[in-house]
Amino acid sequence: MNKNLLLTVVWLVCISIPGFGQERIVSGKVTSDDGADAPGVNVLVKGSTTGTSTAADGTYKLSVPEGKNTLVFSFIGYTTVEVEIGARTVIDVSLETDATQLSEVLVVGYGTQLKQDLTGNIAQVKGDDIQGIPVASFDQALQGRAAGVFVESGNGKLGQGMKMRIRGASSVSAGNQPLYVVDGVPITSQSQSSSNADTNPLTDINPNDIESIDILKDASASAIYGSRAANGVVLITTKRGKTGKTNFNLSLISGFSKETNRKEFLNTAQYVELLREAAKYSGEIDYIESRLTRNGAGNPNSWSDPTSPEYVDTNWQDQVFQTGSFNQADLSASGGSEKTKFFASLSYSDQEGILIQNELNRLSGRINLDHQATEKLQFGLNFSLANTTNKRLSDDNAFSTPMQIVALMPMTPVIDPRTGLISGALNNNTGTPNGNYPVYYNPLLDAAYGERTTSVFRNLGTAYASYAIAPSLKFRSEFGYDLLSQHEERYFGKETSRNTGFPNGWATDAWTRVFNYNTNNFLQYSKTLNAIHSIDAIVGMSFQESLRDFTNVEGQQFPSNSYKELVAAASITAGLTRESRFSFLSYFARANYKLKDRYLFGISGRVDGSSRFGAGNKFGFFPAASAGWILSEEGFLADHTIFDFLKLRASYGLTGNAEIGNFASRGLYAGDAGVAGVPGQRPSQLRNDDLRWEQTAQLDIGVDFGFFNNRVSGEIDYYVKKTSDLLLDVNLPATSGFETQIQNIGDLENKGIEFVINTVNTVGEFKWNTSINISRNRNKITNLDGQIIEGDFLSRAVEGEPIGIFYGPKYAGVDPSNGDALYYTVGQDGITTTTNDVNDATLMKVGDPNPDLIAGMTNTFSYKNFDLSILFQGVFGNQVYNGGGKFMTANGDFLDNQSIDQLRRWQNPGDITDVPQARLFGANGTAESSRYVYDAGYIRLKTLTLGYSFPNSVIAKMKLTKAKIYVSSQNLLTFTDYKGWDPEVNSDTYASNINQGLDFYSAPQAKTITFGVNLSF
Amino acid sequence: MKNKFILIVGLFAATLFLSNCSDKLEIEPNDTVDADEALKTSADVEALLVGAYSALGDGDLLGGNMQRDSELMGDGGEVFWDGTFVEPGEIYAKNMLVTNPQARQTWLDAYAAINICNTVIKNIDLVTEDRTERVEGEAKFIRGLLYFELVKEYGRTWIDGDPSVNLGVPIVTEATTETKVNRSTVEEVYNQLIGDLTDATTLLPETNGFFATKYSAHAILSRVYLMQNNYENAGIQANIVIESGEFSLNQNFSDAFNKTSTAATDRESNGNATSEDVFAIQVTSQDGVNNLNTFFASADFGGRGDILIESYHFSLYEEDDARADMFYDDTYTTKFNNLFGNVPVVRLAEMYLTRAEANFIENTSLGATPIQDINRIRFRAGLLPLTSVSIDDILFERRLELAFEGQQLHDLKRTGRDVGSDPFTYGKLIFPIPQREIIINSDLDQNDAYTN
Repeated sequence: MNKNLLLTVVWLVCISIPGFGQERIVSGKVTSDDGADAPGVNVLVKGSTTGTSTAADGTYKLSVPEGKNTLVFSFIGYTTVEVEIGARTVIDVSLETDATQLSEVLVVGYGTQLKQDLTGNIAQVKGDDIQGIPVASFDQALQGRAAGVFVESGNGKLGQGMKMRIRGASSVSAGNQPLYVVDGVPITSQSQSSSNADTNPLTDINPNDIESIDILKDASASAIYGSRAANGVVLITTKRGKTGKTNFNLSLISGFSKETNRKEFLNTAQYVELLREAAKYSGEIDYIESRLTRNGAGNPNSWSDPTSPEYVDTNWQDQVFQTGSFNQADLSASGGSEKTKFFASLSYSDQEGILIQNELNRLSGRINLDHQATEKLQFGLNFSLANTTNKRLSDDNAFSTPMQIVALMPMTPVIDPRTGLISGALNNNTGTPNGNYPVYYNPLLDAAYGERTTSVFRNLGTAYASYAIAPSLKFRSEFGYDLLSQHEERYFGKETSRNTGFPNGWATDAWTRVFNYNTNNFLQYSKTLNAIHSIDAIVGMSFQESLRDFTNVEGQQFPSNSYKELVAAASITAGLTRESRFSFLSYFARANYKLKDRYLFGISGRVDGSSRFGAGNKFGFFPAASAGWILSEEGFLADHTIFDFLKLRASYGLTGNAEIGNFASRGLYAGDAGVAGVPGQRPSQLRNDDLRWEQTAQLDIGVDFGFFNNRVSGEIDYYVKKTSDLLLDVNLPATSGFETQIQNIGDLENKGIEFVINTVNTVGEFKWNTSINISRNRNKITNLDGQIIEGDFLSRAVEGEPIGIFYGPKYAGVDPSNGDALYYTVGQDGITTTTNDVNDATLMKVGDPNPDLIAGMTNTFSYKNFDLSILFQGVFGNQVYNGGGKFMTANGDFLDNQSIDQLRRWQNPGDITDVPQARLFGANGTAESSRYVYDAGYIRLKTLTLGYSFPNSVIAKMKLTKAKIYVSSQNLLTFTDYKGWDPEVNSDTYASNINQGLDFYSAPQAKTITFGVNLSF
Repeated sequence: MKNKFILIVGLFAATLFLSNCSDKLEIEPNDTVDADEALKTSADVEALLVGAYSALGDGDLLGGNMQRDSELMGDGGEVFWDGTFVEPGEIYAKNMLVTNPQARQTWLDAYAAINICNTVIKNIDLVTEDRTERVEGEAKFIRGLLYFELVKEYGRTWIDGDPSVNLGVPIVTEATTETKVNRSTVEEVYNQLIGDLTDATTLLPETNGFFATKYSAHAILSRVYLMQNNYENAGIQANIVIESGEFSLNQNFSDAFNKTSTAATDRESNGNATSEDVFAIQVTSQDGVNNLNTFFASADFGGRGDILIESYHFSLYEEDDARADMFYDDTYTTKFNNLFGNVPVVRLAEMYLTRAEANFIENTSLGATPIQDINRIRFRAGLLPLTSVSIDDILFERRLELAFEGQQLHDLKRTGRDVGSDPFTYGKLIFPIPQREIIINSDLDQNDAYTN
């Protein structure tokens, strides 16, 4: 029952009216619906001011005045129960969880709040809702579950970085990810990967340890986190023990996964036809035939004679996709005495990816303890340790990444008949690679002769003490740390030399340690006066420091592939260490005032100082104010039965963004410019003493409602987020000696609307609930000082447009008379014509990777012992740019195998098609242009879970309290027009604020089906 | 109760106070140094000068891509671009887009290196007196060399039209962050770089380890004058290098390549990896990069094997020419087979060829006759001496001797010969001004062939 430790709202109502006449003493025990003792429950004598609250074991005792005959038991999050006393003197009560969302307890910064009383906007996802979902990290499971929260995993590789945008991107050059806070500690959530492809440090957190995830979206909710709140704040609260019997929970999950989709490429006959046609145009027939033969392992029959047994038709995707697996076992125990409560868990999960060589496993344990030392003093600790091991794949732009295998020619055999080895492996006779065979480096060689393992030990610990100075005043002190220790090992044998560029083996070994500690110290004041005025306030300070150490060693020349550690490298070619740190010192305060249970006011502020800013601008102030009005409490609405609840609310506040380099304001020199052993230095950064906080002002107006007996409830929010003084990497003319300088230039805004609707469609034996969230965010860069900031391919930040639009030549199709690719050009007279010279094309907006709309819909059904939950997730109105298009969809421009649609190429005058004439080396339509922009909205059956709970009559015999089996799927169905592998994509090589929606041989998402069993005893 | 309350509040206040050590926010970088602290001593400025060499040897500059691009763009059927990188492919096709990443990176990196040189010169007063001249000379050498490479890549060649009208590149000679600088004319850029290199010839010592010497400056000057068809001065400069006695041809042609310097900080002797290097980019397994290896060498030698040598080139060699043995797999040149080998910038052999050409045109015999110089090169290649030479013989010998070392495009242009099937004046035989620069500074003029 004491479901949330931080929940400290305890009403102590003094007995102010002396009783007359005969009084009765009534006592009893309150339990929650799961059988646990329920402390802190308000017990009131109806029609009086007499009351008490239950003790830690759920017991209570109070005297009932003469003439009163009803007790009211209430506790937030539970349905209020009224009980007639009658002649009884002992009354035991069990409280039911309140199904309506308004009574939810939300975690806010440094405290909790009842959803009913909230004046800001917070989306909460319960840990229970995401447990058992086969994903690597909890953030992935949030897709489609919260309005205004856009979660995207860039590709289907395991353990890769995730993109989360809460109410849009608020910055162009600084970070756009939210602040993650676990049990009061801002954790290290930035990728620590040495390669371009991000890893996700949230993978180290066991999703099954999570009690709730609270996403602070508007300024009144998030401003208490000040300078790091502009992108929203995600508060993760882990599970805690409850007084009562010890509950054990065992959960086992096992399943398999496949890629969501494949893309079709040419077979040998089609490829030969297209490439010969392309070569014929370019006068390169001899060249192409020699290449076909070379790539057919030197055998012309491999491509020229379909009847020959030596004819080869390889589908390379078959070689890299595999059936992945997902296995997870969790055991947890929770319980406790009146004084000491605990939650402990142990978990192991093991995943194999849908691509060869990709694995992720995590072993984690946790213990959370709470101890009530005296009536006034409580302390506790949380401690978790995880070991995550990720066998990674190379970045999307590497020839060695499995997905790039699609570029290989179809007549190339998997096994080279001349050597009996993987095509491209060392020729045993000559001891050298087969030169330039196959056409590109074969990624299968990386799988056979290389490895990349990233292993992380992650320890999160917090300790707290809370002292009740007075009934309404508490002091709480917290100290927490996040220790991340990462070891990245890579080894590549000499067989991979064509890819690594190192002829005799290459290995790297990198260690990263991030030690991040934080302390919060604050006073909490909470008081209700005369049942009319209710005040909740905190004031305190916080300090955080994070230190990162990095060591890397590289070596070459290994005796054989049996030796993989650098001790065997005959030549150590690089070694370096780096060290960097940052700190934040903050003071914060918040007050919430509630008048007559209907007028709500909130005010908060934080003064944040950071080591990252210039001397004169170290500190920033981030205030917020909010108000709410619960109309349904008003007399004029109370009679209207249609509304059970109606609240209007508004908030306005400032938040900041400090996600820039640790020394961004400084002029810097780097000492890495030596030559052949002679030390050297170079200027590395221009100074900017004026650098200050990027600031986001956010207005939020919302309404919360519940009607038809709360069968329909929800919320609607409109917000405007305006960011000014952007922390922008401003392009400098190269003649300055520098490429960019970080300056406070520019403005952008995000405007949006969010709908959340929850309905209880049927009650009774067959229960059907629906929860829908729909949100629209429009991002617009309003001022960049006239600049265009370039990302990769066509990704740009342009004034007047959303961040990351595709900006470049607009493809005008194919000239029917000659097969030339055409582009639009707008003359000075404003007349649009076409040109076959892409340099003459007019640059314009040709696509937008930001969705118009995101949505999620969850339907849950239960009937007798069965339950079914279906989550659809949708992303609408966005485009994806295929950066690999100029290679794979290039009408035979080069030797890469081509996507099947290239068979539509122009062949004869008069042909009407959108694929230009095939011209080997002809660059006919291969320039970056809107030709490679595709619509990529989608609807996914994200999660489907069907469960069966064994009836009590069965499980009681087995001494179980709960037994459930279920089958669950993730990404089972995807509906999209996207022509690539998967529309949910952003290449790991390029992903950045501006580079969004880029596909570059990116792995599709996994479609996973799992079977699970849950036992409680 | 009340006392306790006061005690606790007092403790809380104390906590706040103790935490308010604002020095907790004063964190100094460890990987890097504040610019104010970086240049305080002579050693600091000299370390910055080494940084200028490091920048000069960047893969996008003389670490290989500049030479590679000259060979690709200047090709007339001797090499074949077989790689997948788009930017060299466009250069090879003589059809660059204004967004070509190489055009952008060469420009950015060259000006970053020039900025380092300017900063060294600005802080020259910090340098210990007996080193002032050398340090200034080295900075001017690197700056002059980079302006020469820039004006060749981004501006019309000297003999194409009027260099006093044709646009070259922006000139920046002060360490400044002043923003927008427009293009100077080709002639102004030549005047600037000739000034720098000429200063370097007087400021620099005769030996300087593997760093630039006065002869490095003379050697580059000989190239500059050749580009201007100023044969007399080209010959004079080349002759100074030859007659210095500091350099000698390797006995075997192959010994001129794939060598690595030992870390020689002794500036009293020539620290180059071979006696033939007048100036080279230093590469070791830990510093520097050899991008000619990356693109010209096969995977067996750590390269990508992107540039194939065509049979036409093989057909140019006479029988017994040692230089014809510098190929393998019938496809690749061996000149850059050491992943960690130095990248030659100027070799003594070129000085003989330049002197021969200058003497031939000027009808002089400064140092030696053209036929003597050509036969010296032929002798080393294992060939019989010629009895007479023509200008075509000299240029042909130059092509074979310096093959793939980055002189191809510029040698064709300065002699007014066609590049493949294009006349040397073809507008796409120079790079576009990077689009990013024109977006930042709209007054910067684009080269004609790249405008609408």
